Amino acid sequence: MLDTLTLVETPEGIALQLRSAGAMPRAYAWGIDALIRVAILWALAAVIALLGESGVGIYLLMVFVLFWFYPVLFEVLRDGQTPGKKVMRLRVINANGTPVTWIASIVRNLMRTVDMLPFCYGFGLITSLVDTHSRRLGDLVAGTLVVYAEPAGKQSAAPNVPVVNPPPGLALGERAAIVEFAERAAQLTPERQQELAALLPMLTHGSGALAVQRLQGMAGALLGRR
Amino acid sequence: MKQELFQSSHDEEWSAFARWLQLRARPKGRERLSEAAGVFADSEFPAAYRRICQQLALAEHRGYSALLIQRLQDLAYRGHLVLYRPRAPRLRRILDFFAAGFPRLVRAQWRAMTVAALLFFLPLIASIVLLQVRPELVHTLFDPGQLAQFENMYDPASTAERIGRESGTDLKMFGVYIFNNVSIGFRTFASGLLAGVGSIFVLIMNGVMIGGIAGHLTAIGYGGPFWRFVAGHSAPELLAIVISGGAGLQIGMALIAPGRRTRGRALVEAGEIGARLVLGVFAMLIFAAFIEAYWSSLVWMPASVKFSVGGMIWLAILLWLWRGGRGQDSVE
Repeated sequence: MLDTLTLVETPEGIALQLRSAGAMPRAYAWGIDALIRVAILWALAAVIALLGESGVGIYLLMVFVLFWFYPVLFEVLRDGQTPGKKVMRLRVINANGTPVTWIASIVRNLMRTVDMLPFCYGFGLITSLVDTHSRRLGDLVAGTLVVYAEPAGKQSAAPNVPVVNPPPGLALGERAAIVEFAERAAQLTPERQQELAALLPMLTHGSGALAVQRLQGMAGALLGRR
Repeated sequence: MKQELFQSSHDEEWSAFARWLQLRARPKGRERLSEAAGVFADSEFPAAYRRICQQLALAEHRGYSALLIQRLQDLAYRGHLVLYRPRAPRLRRILDFFAAGFPRLVRAQWRAMTVAALLFFLPLIASIVLLQVRPELVHTLFDPGQLAQFENMYDPASTAERIGRESGTDLKMFGVYIFNNVSIGFRTFASGLLAGVGSIFVLIMNGVMIGGIAGHLTAIGYGGPFWRFVAGHSAPELLAIVISGGAGLQIGMALIAPGRRTRGRALVEAGEIGARLVLGVFAMLIFAAFIEAYWSSLVWMPASVKFSVGGMIWLAILLWLWRGGRGQDSVE
């Protein structure tokens, strides 16, 4: 329930890992889009004031297009990203992981009418808090998800230290844990690394920085370094 | 195979794939016909993508490190987005939709459409009839300011160059009609998600209001200009409201009674049907706004022409909805 990870199996037999975005980043993205739209209308009003009565007609047509079609056009033609979503690194996709289609995008944006009720996207907020993938009503009806466009944290390569051969008979999970420990070295303080390495005295036969280095060396061996 | 060996033997392939994605994921218009130079041809992309998927599956199976898996995951995901991109709409398909697909869809939803039509036309006719018998009831619907405005717009003695508006050029009124009517059409559909209540409310309210205006103007003897004004655009506009109401009702029904599907599945299917219906409604309302702004308001046009054109539009639209796309195979 707390994990936002969604696994989507593709026809190729792999599972795509998608992280659905919560209400806050989506609200920011909406805010940015709203600012852009207001700015466009404001600039337009200045030009159209010169056209007189007929200008009002053109202006209303533009308001109409910006209100209803701005999100649809961007979502379908720009890989599921309105400018606001692009800034917040979000993307709209179909629930099966494919890029959002015209019909789905039209549905999810028309349904904003209901999500906005009773005020300030109240229904949308409540639904997204209850739903596992934080979808608002429009997403539920359209069968879409809003996900992060990029993977959460970039990991760095395991540090290059002298290779230490690990004892035989380590299970797959244990080997994975050792490698992951080495690859996360850049994200952990030296103290924390030592603390973690100290949990395995039988494996490292050492303590402090030496234990950390030995573990990283084992990771190197497991990766196939020489 | 150890990870380092696996990685070094495929590294070149992965970099090429990443470069191709960067160049070709969304090529600019004039580059669309040319291939990515120095990487691989577009026609080889699906095979390259499948290899990436296979390598990802292998890497996960062999328990390679998270770093490598993440890199492959990222490549696979970006490739997936390119490979399964929706097709650009083609003119032929769009024309087919309006000629055949849309009328067929309306008929397929005949239950919701019938209910919507009753919810809209019954109050409309009832309020017209009621106001002929008891004209004073109009004050329960509109305040005196609004009434004065309506009466001013359709006063037979008025010397205005246009019927149905107080001022404004044709283009301005076109904008006003699009903005108001299409937005109402969209909202009528969307509010159906509230178990259909929203659509029912909008249909009845609009029926009563439109009937109220028509009934009142007829009762006070302003019927001439009014009926001449609405004759042309009444068919597309009223029928579009009914269809968007019906689209809303069927989505409400999917929520209340999903049948043998899960509620989520039923909603998604009803949403797709609804969106297609709304596309047709959108076209009808643009047509209506066009007539309303440029034809309905003409003062000099004799009533006989206006009524016969209006009648023909009613016939044509009903015929289109009734017969359109019959006897053809569905292309959806």
